[in-house]
Amino acid sequence: MDKSIFAQMPSLTPTLGFASMIGLGLFSLALSYGVKTLLVRNTHDFIIADRRVGFGFGVGSVIAVWTWAMAVMMSSAMTYNWGLSGLFWFVVPNGFAVMAMIPFARILRKNMPEGYTISEFVEYRFNRSKVATAIVTVTMIFGIILEILINLKGTSVVVSTVFGIDWRVATVVGIVCVLTYSYFGGLWTSVMTGTLNTLMITVPAAIVVAAVYAKIPGGTQAVFDAAGAADARNLSVLRPDAAAGFGITLAFGLLAATVSDQTFWQKVWAVKSRDVGRTFLWAGALFYPIPICLGMLGLVGIAFGLKPADIGGDIVAIGPYIVSHIGLGLTLVLLYVLVILAACYSTIDGASAALSSIVAVDIVKRYFPQTSESSLFVITKLSVLLGGIVATLIVLSGLDFTTLVLTTYALKTSILLPLVLSILWPKTNMVGFVGGIAAAILIGMPIYEMAGELIGTLCIVAISGLTVLIAGLVGGRDFDLSGLKRITDEVSAPAE
Amino acid sequence: MYALITIVGIVVTIFFLAGFGRGLRNAIAEYRDGAPESNEVPDYRYGGLAALSVVASAVVIAGAGFSPAMIYAGPLLALVTAAGCGLAFFVEDKAAG
Repeated sequence: MDKSIFAQMPSLTPTLGFASMIGLGLFSLALSYGVKTLLVRNTHDFIIADRRVGFGFGVGSVIAVWTWAMAVMMSSAMTYNWGLSGLFWFVVPNGFAVMAMIPFARILRKNMPEGYTISEFVEYRFNRSKVATAIVTVTMIFGIILEILINLKGTSVVVSTVFGIDWRVATVVGIVCVLTYSYFGGLWTSVMTGTLNTLMITVPAAIVVAAVYAKIPGGTQAVFDAAGAADARNLSVLRPDAAAGFGITLAFGLLAATVSDQTFWQKVWAVKSRDVGRTFLWAGALFYPIPICLGMLGLVGIAFGLKPADIGGDIVAIGPYIVSHIGLGLTLVLLYVLVILAACYSTIDGASAALSSIVAVDIVKRYFPQTSESSLFVITKLSVLLGGIVATLIVLSGLDFTTLVLTTYALKTSILLPLVLSILWPKTNMVGFVGGIAAAILIGMPIYEMAGELIGTLCIVAISGLTVLIAGLVGGRDFDLSGLKRITDEVSAPAE
Repeated sequence: MYALITIVGIVVTIFFLAGFGRGLRNAIAEYRDGAPESNEVPDYRYGGLAALSVVASAVVIAGAGFSPAMIYAGPLLALVTAAGCGLAFFVEDKAAG
């Protein structure tokens, strides 16, 4: 297939780029102001939405926070790089990771109904162990900053590529837009704007991908034939090199990304208790079509024989490149940008809302319990801005954030099994929990560095889990999880 | 197919927004009512449906390697996601009063 079909669109001006970013921000701000007026009176409403998030908002917002801007692009990139095997390994563990939350979410919501954060659970689970709690709190904060940072970086790259805006300016404009509206309504704002963003991701994605195929002479048949002719393995989901190359590692990483992420735990305690299980089931199942849909752009890249050099050197740009160069109308290109902006904004505002719960419950209330409600409310609202500002400074500094990525990866993967066992296995104790995480980092990470991602990840998971099991069997005491029902609400709504 | 997906997309958007409006009214009504929420977490059988969705996603992706028509399954299912989110608002309990 002739790749001369791809050409730069002259009408994508920086003004359109700014209008897209600021327009979505202003729309969300208007909604946020309404939410603040109608639904948010205190810290309790701000960080946990009075535990009244309904089924619809629960499903929509969980999908939104799980649909990262980078994921929107990575689904196309993995297909482009590995064929349908790449899409298979990228997609299948992704939805499963959301549904994997269900048993843990149900157990904790049932046994600790007044909870706010997973770090708070660990505090009470391990007899107020400062070490265990601090490890989990730090892991959650690192994870949130990384979520914001990656989405910000990915979006600034797309916006700068498509509209020719300086990436630093795009970064600042993007974060100002999100933080401005996130500041007002906290979790309620996050779930409502996130739910609307799910609409802005799904319908435009479907229309844009269909439009791309409609634009190609011969349509799906031509792409199918050309991709198969380029390499028959492109049309198979059974390539073992895709599984070994990134699939298995990604599967563990995704599980750690949900189970070890306060963004999800905040929703576990905010969604109405009767809806917790089905919220994560529907969200996981309904998430699947998003990357499947966008992944089909990767087949177009294969079919036309596009090389990384053609698209700027980074395969993540394959989706944006195809959409902005194949000759679609301006409206369709803007719709695609909207998909990426919606994914970016919803993930950042979800992460910011999660950070506010950590600051309120795991820092202020834990270390300064006498803080008044009015002061706590102000601090909590300001904390929404904190993660965004830190992430922006890191992005703007031009620092290589590989260290942050690796540190967060190490902490999240190391914490996965100890956290799971602390919920499921009564014999899990503090020594095993802390020892498992420490051993996984101290022994597993050097193995990860030397032996590569796959073996390294398996070692980290195995070391952390085995340490917890051995310590639990030696320790011998059972923890009664139902005792956590006595835990009172740390940030209960003040009396009217 | 492009025209069909665009038309269905518009219909799904209207359905989603209708659901969103219902959910918003529910949330405001419940907030004003102030009645305490139950802490009960009902038993919920999810294993079969979860497994089915995992297998279905794998089959859809594999299907695109057997028939070019299956390439359109992705965009069509993305519309199902939007419709599913809209439906979730309609199956949630309505606030009393």
